[in-house]
Amino acid sequence: MLFPSESALRADPQAVAGSSDYDIVIVGSGISGAIIAKQAAEAGKRVLVLEAGTGVNRSLVGYDDLLTTFYSAATKDNQSPFPVNANAAMPRSPQLRKLQAGETDSSTYIVQSGPYVSDTTYTRIFGGTTMHWEAKTPRMLRSDFKSRTNFGQGLDWPLSFEEIEEDYRLAEQEIGVSADVEDQSYLGQTFPDDYVFPMRGLPLSYLDQQVNNGIDGTSVDLYGQIYPLKVRPYPQARNGIPNPAYDGGRGYRPIGAVDTHQVEEGGRCQGNTNCVPLCPVQARYHSGKTLAKAFRIRGKSGQSLVELLPQAVASKVVIDPDSGKVVALEVKVYNDSASPAHETITVKGKVFVLAAGAIETARLMLSSGLRSTSGLVGRNLMDHAYLLNWALMPQICGTMRGTSSTGGIVDLRDGPFREKQAAFAIDIHNDGWGWATGAPTSDLLELVDDRNLYGADLRRGLIDRISRQLLLAVMLEVLPVESNRITVDPQFTDALGNMRPILSFTVPEYTMRGAAYARQFSRTVFARLGAQDHTSYAPSDFGYVAYEGQGYAIRGGNHLAGTHIMGTTKTNSVVDRNQRSWDHENLYLVGGGSMPTIGTANVTLTLAAMCFRSGRDILKYLH
Amino acid sequence: MHTHSSIRTLDELQEILHGAMQLEHATIPPYLTALYSIIPGVNQDAAQVLRVIVVEEMLHLTIAANVLNAVGGTPDLTRPDFVASYPAYLPDGETDFEVGIQAFGREALTTFLKIERPATRPERLKAGNPLLHRKIPPHKTMLGSHPSNKELHFYSIGEFYAAIVDGIRELEGRAQREGQTIFTGDRSRQVTSEYYYSGGGELFPVVDLKSAIDALELIIEQGEGDGGGIYDDDEHELAHYYRFDELVKGRYYLKGDKPGHPTGPQLQVDWDGAYPIKPNLKVAEISDGSELREATIAFNHRYGEFLKLLTLAYNGQPSLLLEAVPIMFEFRNMMLELIRNPLPGHPGLNGSPTYEIGRDAAGPCVACQAGAVA
Repeated sequence: MLFPSESALRADPQAVAGSSDYDIVIVGSGISGAIIAKQAAEAGKRVLVLEAGTGVNRSLVGYDDLLTTFYSAATKDNQSPFPVNANAAMPRSPQLRKLQAGETDSSTYIVQSGPYVSDTTYTRIFGGTTMHWEAKTPRMLRSDFKSRTNFGQGLDWPLSFEEIEEDYRLAEQEIGVSADVEDQSYLGQTFPDDYVFPMRGLPLSYLDQQVNNGIDGTSVDLYGQIYPLKVRPYPQARNGIPNPAYDGGRGYRPIGAVDTHQVEEGGRCQGNTNCVPLCPVQARYHSGKTLAKAFRIRGKSGQSLVELLPQAVASKVVIDPDSGKVVALEVKVYNDSASPAHETITVKGKVFVLAAGAIETARLMLSSGLRSTSGLVGRNLMDHAYLLNWALMPQICGTMRGTSSTGGIVDLRDGPFREKQAAFAIDIHNDGWGWATGAPTSDLLELVDDRNLYGADLRRGLIDRISRQLLLAVMLEVLPVESNRITVDPQFTDALGNMRPILSFTVPEYTMRGAAYARQFSRTVFARLGAQDHTSYAPSDFGYVAYEGQGYAIRGGNHLAGTHIMGTTKTNSVVDRNQRSWDHENLYLVGGGSMPTIGTANVTLTLAAMCFRSGRDILKYLH
Repeated sequence: MHTHSSIRTLDELQEILHGAMQLEHATIPPYLTALYSIIPGVNQDAAQVLRVIVVEEMLHLTIAANVLNAVGGTPDLTRPDFVASYPAYLPDGETDFEVGIQAFGREALTTFLKIERPATRPERLKAGNPLLHRKIPPHKTMLGSHPSNKELHFYSIGEFYAAIVDGIRELEGRAQREGQTIFTGDRSRQVTSEYYYSGGGELFPVVDLKSAIDALELIIEQGEGDGGGIYDDDEHELAHYYRFDELVKGRYYLKGDKPGHPTGPQLQVDWDGAYPIKPNLKVAEISDGSELREATIAFNHRYGEFLKLLTLAYNGQPSLLLEAVPIMFEFRNMMLELIRNPLPGHPGLNGSPTYEIGRDAAGPCVACQAGAVA
């Protein structure tokens, strides 16, 4: 599809402040806000989306500028395409350092209060974290929704898989998921008889196939239960081959690029390894695509029903003390990302949706003095814990070809062992050891500086090293713990004077037991592949965690959740099963923050599904 | 002597559809070369305009193959004359013009605008034979000729396609009256949207008169626009001519704009922001034994192999188009190598792909001649 020029328009702050007829005001232009905005506009509602970032990347030129920034960046981390903007700051992992006992580090945007230092990130820019995400879209398993009942661990959701299943399909449609049902029907996952994903599954990389050759048909024994091993493809939010059987044979039209001048129409996945952080051809989904469709929807007067106000940082939720309803948002609007100069406007609406991500939404609530009846705002912070394992394969495996991860070992996502230790899913990283060691740059430096290679020898040396690299990234379940939390403190503020998030986190023992097992598991896999293990964890690593005499470097997964947890009553949770605040009837806190557990599924698909549910509830509330 | 312009037999129809494939393909080497001649970091807008157009030309090539397959033809991109010898001639009213291989710049853009220009026939030429008689020098490629007489040319690309549409209507009408159809092609030879998509147009199977006409109209509208409008009939997509016009005017079109008067945001074009490749270079001009010559020949070979693969894909194996994708990346890299390196003996000029496919390539080839004699 082609995008309308409205996509590039920016609402006028004065007009926004003077307007009293927004049905819905949404904070955040990530996938949660985008889905709710589009759904509301389709029902004829007037929507304002506030975005803290500059919003320049809602046009193709702005998007391409981010790519240029990425190409020229020395460190290619998740945030490297996104210019520094102190008015809408975000965590940047290379800045982290290990904490001494009891120390707090406020030198980075997230104040690290420890003991564990998290390098978790999210992106405060138009499109939110879907601008840098890896775009794997597994569903949560049936049992993940009933952790407490099944395993005596974590919490049960107030929703069952059956209740969210249809919304999973809506989310898969909106995102345009590429996957094949037969590949995803493992560990009891089921799909309706006639269901196909919008696009066919992306192929496994050559590296995936090489790993599979070494482990297929083998198994592991865990607490007496046998788990067969194989490499399975991940469902992906990137354009593949549309499935003609989709939607009862009507097929699926892939979504193109954000572009208002019809010069770029969005491609199919080309296997660029730098698709994290930013896909060069917009084959990877980002919520700008959903928003572009939303901007196109017009009301009776011919005006676009969805307006975007970028450079607008929500700073306070204003409550009517009698009714508990939200009456307005205070919003700081800046003119230039290089200057803290701003004006504060007040935005009114009938319903308010906070969709700023699990950390920023909690931060906004807490800095507005809204801890909720349950006192759980900011608590139960979750993020997948990653344990990296790296080795050299005995043969050339074509590492560095394909998107960052196409396949993995996922058969230990579920099992009776979850009574004792965390489940996990393993990604095979097509981009080699990059995440663990900084490869391929680190390899180049070593071959040139330490071994004085040049010319043909250097080329050969790089191929020998890099195209044999295997990185198994183990993504471990983390359960809700109330003391893992986000707080605020007036002594830590950002350029606009908004309070910054303070993170306190301990990796739960349940997760560490899983990590210790996953380390053994990875060694077993390496042995079966004949791969030489190069894994080592330095005690000086900022994420170093000791467990039963061994040390592990734990990385954040950027799958943030839990900070406005969903539950059955106003005393055990912040929001109800529709993500509506128990305390404020016209306020919805949406996104990963509502999730009571995250299992071993990357959170985006599930939170997208939940937003379809909330969108319907909001429309019901407005009628 | 054959002088009528209409398409009267199925053979003629199949042959003119081959001509359509040749015509659609003929624009790809000039557009691709101009695109890849752009120096990285400049002319972002121009690169994107060129890219989207060349991708649509690939769509048009595939659509023409679909129509040819639908009427029982056999697409063959490996015919010795399939790839034009550049500069090639395209019909453009009473005068033809040359389409050559050159770097991005004002001159290239003038040519591109001519390629996509909607040519309307003046009043005084409306009566009589619509074909024009032209002698073309030997070894030159003249595109858009009549299938039964290579010296008779259509007045414009628009009339060339109009003749195809009329011919299909006429032949199918005749067949229907006899209880038959010209759409006898095997459905499984159609290339469908699984293998190509973008915002601008879609591949669909051509199985009957309606789908054939729809397919050809898509080609016509995307190129020239629909009867003077700058957008296609859904008011969504800007015709190629006006995309190029945006570069000339330095401004984007918006919906509702009049032709020639874009009112959208400004865009920047750096007319010197391209590598200075030697226009219409031939392998024979590159010093014997130079690396550049080897690389140029290697590219022509690879491009020839690519056309073989496309031919197989258009002959019942559409899934081979997926294998073609990495080859396209490969020859992009090969082209960049040619374009960014100096041409020996021509100070200030760089190499270029020559697209001498099947003509091979290295000038007088003793081995080939010996083989031909034997």
